[in-house]
Amino acid sequence: MNKIPLVCVLSVLAACSNNPSTRVEDREINARVRIPASQDSAGVQVYSLQNPAVKQLTAQARDAEREGDLGRASSYLERALGIQPRDPQLLQHMAEIKLQNGDYQQALSFAVRSYDIGPRVGEICSRNWRTISVAKEHLQDSHGADDAASRALQCMNIRPQGL
Amino acid sequence: MAIKTKSKVKKTRVKKTSPVPRKRQRKPTPRKKSGWLRRSLRLLLLLLGLGIGLGAPWVIWLDKQVRTEFDGRKWDIPSRVYARPLSLYTGKPISIQSLVLELNATGYRQVQSAAMPGSYARNGNHIDINRRAFIFDDGVESAVIFRLHISENKILSMSSPPGGRDPGLLRLDPAEIASIYPLHDEDRTLVALTDVPEMLVTGLQAVEDRQFKHHRGVVLRSIARALLTNIKAGKTVQGGSTLTQQLVKNYFLSSERTMVRKGNEAIMAFLLEWHYDKARILEAYINEIFLGQQGKRAIHGFGRAAEFYFGRPLQNLEAEHFALLIGMVRGASFYNPRRNPQRAMQRRNRVLDIFGTTGLMSENEVKIAKTRPLGVIDDPPPASSRYPAFMDMVRRQLKRDYRSDDLSNEGLKIFTTLAPSEQEFAQQAVSGGLDQLQQRGLPADLQGALVMAETASGEVRALVGDRVAGRRGFNRALDARRQIGSVIKPLVYLLALEHSGDYTLVTPIRDEPITLRQASGEIWSPVNYDHKSHGELPLMDALVHSYNQAAVQVGLKIGVNNLIRKVRQLGVEAKIPAVPATLLGAVELTPVEVAQMYQSLAAGGYSVPLRSVTAVLTQQGRLLSRYPLRMLPLDHREAVALLNFALVRVIEQGTARSLHALLGNNSLIAGKTGTTNERRDSWFVGYTRDRVAVSWVGRDDNRPAGVTGGNAAMRVWAEFFRHLPVSGVDLGLPDGASYVWVNVPQNALTDPSCPDAVQIPFVNGTEPQAKTRCLVRLSRKNRK
Repeated sequence: MNKIPLVCVLSVLAACSNNPSTRVEDREINARVRIPASQDSAGVQVYSLQNPAVKQLTAQARDAEREGDLGRASSYLERALGIQPRDPQLLQHMAEIKLQNGDYQQALSFAVRSYDIGPRVGEICSRNWRTISVAKEHLQDSHGADDAASRALQCMNIRPQGL
Repeated sequence: MAIKTKSKVKKTRVKKTSPVPRKRQRKPTPRKKSGWLRRSLRLLLLLLGLGIGLGAPWVIWLDKQVRTEFDGRKWDIPSRVYARPLSLYTGKPISIQSLVLELNATGYRQVQSAAMPGSYARNGNHIDINRRAFIFDDGVESAVIFRLHISENKILSMSSPPGGRDPGLLRLDPAEIASIYPLHDEDRTLVALTDVPEMLVTGLQAVEDRQFKHHRGVVLRSIARALLTNIKAGKTVQGGSTLTQQLVKNYFLSSERTMVRKGNEAIMAFLLEWHYDKARILEAYINEIFLGQQGKRAIHGFGRAAEFYFGRPLQNLEAEHFALLIGMVRGASFYNPRRNPQRAMQRRNRVLDIFGTTGLMSENEVKIAKTRPLGVIDDPPPASSRYPAFMDMVRRQLKRDYRSDDLSNEGLKIFTTLAPSEQEFAQQAVSGGLDQLQQRGLPADLQGALVMAETASGEVRALVGDRVAGRRGFNRALDARRQIGSVIKPLVYLLALEHSGDYTLVTPIRDEPITLRQASGEIWSPVNYDHKSHGELPLMDALVHSYNQAAVQVGLKIGVNNLIRKVRQLGVEAKIPAVPATLLGAVELTPVEVAQMYQSLAAGGYSVPLRSVTAVLTQQGRLLSRYPLRMLPLDHREAVALLNFALVRVIEQGTARSLHALLGNNSLIAGKTGTTNERRDSWFVGYTRDRVAVSWVGRDDNRPAGVTGGNAAMRVWAEFFRHLPVSGVDLGLPDGASYVWVNVPQNALTDPSCPDAVQIPFVNGTEPQAKTRCLVRLSRKNRK
């Protein structure tokens, strides 16, 4: 019985030290960005062509991300962006890493850039807007977050420019 | 020392021989004998007492010195500054010339067959590279050998091992471009004993101190033998010092040769061995021993010597290299392989023989090793940077986070963004370009600066601050604050285009005389470069031809303060006067500030701070800080896209239309020229899809120089970019803007099939409402 208050105190302390309210867990990324975006992706899909070097770095970034080493993941992606700086998938992946790292301003920036130069349709578009939505939510911009969430739903309907 | 030793020996002999005749004269009685014994004993006790009384405090003092120094010893290790590692993959645009420049900058040797790490072999378009092992900022990579096939300035294929599979992605170890040294000018690369190759550890003992494992710091027999040899020779020809004594000498004592110093050395060596184990002593020795001199800088330890003489880490040396370094312990200057190669070769071969006789190498291995050249690189890593201007930028970036002591003492590994080949081309473009301008009749005292960064990452790849390569001093790229002239105009029009309700690229602007009374009371009447006014013309054309009166008309409407705010928003913090002349570039900025300003435009409206450092690691390879890519999207990115469209036209039809011919390339390039009053300054800012570069030409004393944006700075820029892969600017539009077919003179919508139809980008909803007759006719026809 005596242990219960101690456990509570420790949990509270642990919660404070981890500051979960300012970090996006990888579960949240999957639940709020990646999975719904892939479920949305029934329509037109446009993916950039990646060269093998970029694919290799992306795979390494994914491994690092799975291991929870977001710094290394970010560094691999930055190298990949050095090779293909205008690859919307790389930019979006970086946005998701920044989101998990609690760097919401940068998550927002990378997702917006990915959308700007990306296909603006399909799964990548949905991931762009869902990331923007989560980032804005954490940046206390609830109106912007709602707006971005509704833009994510339009990614399947809007005809991309040039198509 | 030899002479003093001799006299001492003689004195001792005299004392020993003097009692002998007395013995013959009288037979000593037992009583007398006991008296003699007692006297001798007393004398001995007296001497012992004196020895203990005087010697003990001395030994205690030495002991304290040894322990304090050795325990508290912390070597000041210079920080090493590296260029960016060159990524290599199939499809990468790179010329053989650039690759060879990169390999040379990184200290790779061209050989027949790239069997050793740090070498490459070229066979036509095929290059085999034996990449060294290296601690990169994201981990260690071991040595690897691979082949590149380069054709038409591109890597067509890559295989590792040569002829094997495509490894996907490889990178060269980065060139060491500078070191940040401690004040006392000792250069050292610290190595842990566990990382020292066995050949060096055993070879060193075989040559310098075979009893090292067993002695207690001093080997009396060796000292005696050396003494005897020296006496015989009449000079010092042999040293009886153990490794421990040599370390003590290097560590604590001066190099003077006196008995007192020799005595101290022996006592301290003994004390060192008493307190510390052999491994620690050997590790200290390997890092301390003097092995060369580079200018005023002393090379200490085998780690740095390996880099200094062979351009590779200690772990990658071969037997003959170890032999040379060990041989040099005897006299680093005497056996200097660069100055005295023959003598060094003889010494190396002598050491190789010792390796053979002590069983370290077989007879055959020794024979083969002796046939090999010394293998010393011609150009050691630079004592001071080859790129002082770029290093200024590195220092300024690091100063924000590191104390200068940490930078010069802690052996940090600093990874920068410099591309050695691109830096080389940039410097050649400035130096050669200004020489050419001189031949064309421009002043001989022109100076120049050039800054080039990657648009998306903001990583500075090249920075030139002086016409003369490698010259230190005034860094014009960072510190020359000069009026920027028309280089400011794109920002005036950007602000206008941000007010999309009022301005589009085809909005008519009036280029006509204008007179303003300034705050000082002076009247200001700007004129155009051709001293003509051009009447009403589309906004885009006013920018393309850089008309001053039109820019002032627009600028006054958008407001000078808004322009200043925009410059700040683009990352420039310089003081800018809020006067109308600012609209025409009466603003003093440095080339690097101009590059920062244009980076955001070149990146389509994403502001990225220019960076020269990407990561800092400890000497052991632990990450201390990373400076990652950070970007900030600007508002009104659609206006940036419109502006970029117009800046491409500056090159196609405007003030920079001779660029394509100079460049020999028709790719889409965006840019802007800039000239200041009385032709004092020449500016050109240009960007491709991947690179943005700013070039400035003028005189240091700001006298008229006869230069214009087009006749000087643009030529330097073109000379630089002639050596780089050029990809056309991306004119894709962000959300909220679209291309529309219009007839510009009529400011009306039209059809592509109609006369004078051009496709122009507009912010959605701001397209002209009017339609050309041709379009109306076609629409009716279609309806029917």
